[in-house]
Amino acid sequence: MCSRLILGRRGGAFMAEFRFIHSSDLHLGRRFASMQQASDDNLRGRLMEARFDAIAKLAGVARAEGAGHILLAGDTFDTPAPSAAVLRQALAAMRDEPGVQWWLLPGNHDNLREAEPLWQHIAQQGGETIHPLLRAVPVEIAPGVTLLPCPITHRDMGRDPSADLPAMPSPEGNLRLGLAHGGVVDFTESGAHIPPDRDRSARLDYLALGDWHGGVEVSARTHYSGSPEQDRFTHGQRGHCLSVTLTTPGQAPHLRKVETGTFLWQQKDCALLPGQDAVEVLQRLLPTSGRRAVLLRVLASGRCRLPDQAALTEAAAEAAPEFAYFELRSDALALDYETADLDAIDKGGALRMAANALRAAAEDDAAAAEDRAIAGAALGRLYAYVRAGAE
Amino acid sequence: MKLRSVTLCNVRRFAGTVEVGPIADGLNVLSDANEQGKSTLFDAIQALFFAPHGSASKEVKSLRPYSGGAPEVSAVVETADGVFTLSKRWLGKAQAQVHRGDRLIAQGGAAEDWISALVTGGEAGPSGLIWVRQGLLGLSEGTQKEREATLNARRDLLSSVTGEVEQLTGGRRMDAALTLCRKELLDYATATGRPRKDGPWNAAEERLAEVTARRDALQKAVEDLHDALALRKRRRAELAEIEDPQAIALRKDRLEAAEKAFETAKTHADALASQAQKVDIARLSVTSLTARQTERREVEAEVAEASAALAQIAARCTVSRDAVTEAELARQHSARISASAQTASKEAAALCRKVRDHAAARQGQARRAELAERLRLAEIARSAAEEARAQTVGGLDEKALRQLERLASEMQQARAVRDAAAPQVSVSYEAGQTGRVTLNGAPVEAPLALPEGGVFALPGIGELHLRVAGGEAQKAQVARAEQAFHEALAARNLPSLDAAQRAAEQHAAALRRAEEAATRLETLAPKGLEPLHADLAAIPALTSDETLPDADAAENALVAASDAALSAQEADVRAAATLAQAESRLSGDLAAQAAAADRKRRADARLAALPPEAPEGLADQLRRAVLTLEAEEALLRDKSAAAPDLIGAKTTRDRLRSVAEKTETERVSLREDLAKLETQISLAAESGVEEALAEATETQTAAARTLAHIQFEVQVLRRLLDALEQARAEARDRYFAPVAKELRPLLHLLWPDAELEWEDQTLLPSHLVRDGQSEALDILSGGTQEQIALLVRLAFARMLAHAGRPAPVILDDALIFSDDTRIERMFDALHRQAGDLQILVLSCRQRAFRDLGGHKLVLRPR
Repeated sequence: MCSRLILGRRGGAFMAEFRFIHSSDLHLGRRFASMQQASDDNLRGRLMEARFDAIAKLAGVARAEGAGHILLAGDTFDTPAPSAAVLRQALAAMRDEPGVQWWLLPGNHDNLREAEPLWQHIAQQGGETIHPLLRAVPVEIAPGVTLLPCPITHRDMGRDPSADLPAMPSPEGNLRLGLAHGGVVDFTESGAHIPPDRDRSARLDYLALGDWHGGVEVSARTHYSGSPEQDRFTHGQRGHCLSVTLTTPGQAPHLRKVETGTFLWQQKDCALLPGQDAVEVLQRLLPTSGRRAVLLRVLASGRCRLPDQAALTEAAAEAAPEFAYFELRSDALALDYETADLDAIDKGGALRMAANALRAAAEDDAAAAEDRAIAGAALGRLYAYVRAGAE
Repeated sequence: MKLRSVTLCNVRRFAGTVEVGPIADGLNVLSDANEQGKSTLFDAIQALFFAPHGSASKEVKSLRPYSGGAPEVSAVVETADGVFTLSKRWLGKAQAQVHRGDRLIAQGGAAEDWISALVTGGEAGPSGLIWVRQGLLGLSEGTQKEREATLNARRDLLSSVTGEVEQLTGGRRMDAALTLCRKELLDYATATGRPRKDGPWNAAEERLAEVTARRDALQKAVEDLHDALALRKRRRAELAEIEDPQAIALRKDRLEAAEKAFETAKTHADALASQAQKVDIARLSVTSLTARQTERREVEAEVAEASAALAQIAARCTVSRDAVTEAELARQHSARISASAQTASKEAAALCRKVRDHAAARQGQARRAELAERLRLAEIARSAAEEARAQTVGGLDEKALRQLERLASEMQQARAVRDAAAPQVSVSYEAGQTGRVTLNGAPVEAPLALPEGGVFALPGIGELHLRVAGGEAQKAQVARAEQAFHEALAARNLPSLDAAQRAAEQHAAALRRAEEAATRLETLAPKGLEPLHADLAAIPALTSDETLPDADAAENALVAASDAALSAQEADVRAAATLAQAESRLSGDLAAQAAAADRKRRADARLAALPPEAPEGLADQLRRAVLTLEAEEALLRDKSAAAPDLIGAKTTRDRLRSVAEKTETERVSLREDLAKLETQISLAAESGVEEALAEATETQTAAARTLAHIQFEVQVLRRLLDALEQARAEARDRYFAPVAKELRPLLHLLWPDAELEWEDQTLLPSHLVRDGQSEALDILSGGTQEQIALLVRLAFARMLAHAGRPAPVILDDALIFSDDTRIERMFDALHRQAGDLQILVLSCRQRAFRDLGGHKLVLRPR
């Protein structure tokens, strides 16, 4: 497929439109080893496979959008030295997409210094449609379109990776398309961030950024595409890419967000109040369909009673198998030890004495937090034992 | 719960319907003969409460009537909630129902639950029934199932005893919780608290260690990869720098220039060395000619000087010989004069000595006379002393005398002893009688000892011869003493002690004389006689009277002769010295003359040894040689000034050669390094070491999280287990108090001061303590065991009643081994408890139980 130059008339002059796909952070080869999976499950394999599928999905979007170029704004690979299988299969997958030009920018994960063999291999054996951008020099990727890449040379560059953009030349009248990888927020005050006005200071018609896995609009001409396949609970949305259309220099780009992700990573708060039906609150949080492709982390917080906690745990255990991944975190959930709940353990006698002792330990402000947590958990366990015995 | 009535239909021998009731509070007694249905009633009640209506167990089937059919049992019970009718039918159209009045409130499973809750107490705690089956003596007897049922019932009962010890040990729920907790904990940890080898805790630890080791290894591999990449980059840059064509050409040009410069400098240096050799040769020629000229001049001067010196010393020798001759003559003269003077002096000295000796002899005559007198007296004293000492030889000294005297004394003492022991005799003469008896011739007057062998002369009568017997020892002593005394005298040739005493006196006198003579001799010649003789000899005897000159004249003549001799001797000495001096000078001059002659000969020889050469030719040669040297030196200076720096050129050339070699070596090394690095990087990159590290890192994180989760879980389980065990221990302590309190008065009905000991795990009584003796229950008699079993159940029932949940006590021939006395006391116990409890006694011992009293029950058809 050729780059789609759409000719039209605007303001009395013929204007060319240039459309491309902006994506980043594919992190191919990530193995998700920290994800707990059931012994009969293949969650990690599915997640890895979904990342590979993103290549075909991006190509599919490009074809659907009539875009001939896919710009990958860094971190195409999760590590500087991916296995031969990951590397070659990825390149093969890209080559298998006809009519699509892949422009690969080294990010911090696959930076030039550490990933030298990787980029050397791509440069030598990538093929005609795969273009590693290894130097910060302008490249005319289409007539009238100059791509200004800012490859990441080191994992921690210690400077603004887009600093070269303002000085990069381009033919007069060409669209200036910046491609960089890094944050726009300087959390460490090290100066190693991309200025939010870089599009203006570098006279860019569009600045395609990578590194942020969720899609973010920094300005009208500066965008993070987000990862086409999410890999964390941070963003709460499926992966997507941006279909960007540029017209004439100086004109604002037209963007369209296209969903590409297979899995939905979600983290939801389950804030409980005493007296609330914890199970009902949980149920309201759960998606009603497509659970097999959902990774859900529920953060229980607030306060509840022993029966509520037990019911919540049971409900979570009941729902978990339907999801690709389900995790209930109750660290922030405080327990109220009502007398009636302790009565449910026993109204008197040794069981009640044990329950009372554990409750006192769990509520002892003078005790260490860990000891309180252990005592609280022990009390919850006792409640579960007695409850299971009663059933 | 209290039973109010029980109805049986189609149960064993009861083909129809029979009922027992109403059952009152307190003591109820169904006393009937055997085979009248008491045990059937007991089993029917137990089945109603514990056998599900759907059961077809052996116990249920045993209830079937002999004619067949479905057994049915119902009972009216009263609880705090009211009066209910419970009914069950088994085997055919099985059913369970609970009615309250006429209203059905539960049936089927719900009815079973209702009944079960009634017996076990449900959520509110068990109430139960208390059973003692016929022949079931011990609390722990019966089948395993019965024992478990009994134990469970016991715990249920115990756990609902009173409000303040509510559920006490926690009952079965406590057991279940403990079992679950222990089981879960045991999955993780051993009894000692360590991770179980095949458990998840240990597996998590091993997993974490494994993945950590793997991650560390991968981290190392990644670092190695990064290092290799960085190194490859450096090596490539270094190689590129080395292999840069411009750099190669530059290195080559510089090396060639350095080689050329070195060759040029070396050629010039060789020429310079050749010129220096020429200069050295010219300089050598000048030096040689100069030396030859100087030597000839020196030799000629030496010949001249030696000739002059030889002539001068020959003249000095002539003068010296004349002086020697003159000194010899003078010496001969002085020697003669000195010899004459010496002779005269000796003669004067001899005369003078003779004069002096004569004068001295005259002065020593008095002394000589005195010495001669002392010598004479001394000779006399010496003779006297020698004579006296001769007299003492063989004399008796004082010591010998003392010995003789001691022996005489001992002899006298022995005799005295002998005489004292001897018989005595005395004679008394008549008045006027003059005759006297004599003994051994001596008249006997006073008493005297009888002597051995004595002869008395008796005037007018004759003689009387005595032989005295006895005193042998004394006699022997006297004999030994006398022998010793006489032997001592004989040894000194002395006749008696008196003679000895005289000899001793003579010996002493001779000694005294010898001492006196010695004293005199010492006085006269303290140093002996020889010095006196010497002194006497030293004094010359006066010579004959001859004519001698006057002493002064002789002395003066001697002085004059001596002076003359001395002067002549001195003159002779001077003459000798003069002669020696002259001879010495002559010798020196002669030696000098010989030396001068030798010098002259050597100078002549050196001159003769020089090559015959005209002095003018040598000077010309030297002048020409100097000119040649100056010319060569000028040439050398010119060439030195124009010489290039050979050392610098060589250093530069060597350095550039070294650079070239080192560069080539480095180039080869770099290529080898790069080849190795390429392989290393390629292998590491293709193996996906970074991917593996990322995975290992995540795996390690997950493993650490899993281990932490398990450790927390273990802590939770331990905490729960501790809490449960501690609570149960406390509750158990509180349990025994009320049991013992209720049981104590019942036990005391039978055994004053008796106590029961309880087994910790089963909560059953294990020992009976009486009179301080602890006896295991299983060794007690059957009667005692059944009595204890009954009393303990009554105590439990009483506690239940105090808890507000009275439990009927059903006794089926529970006292079959008890004797009459004990059974009376057991009746008292039953009555004592009946005030609070409902007790149902089933017995076939009609006569024995006739005195039990209580409410009489009968089974009657309905």
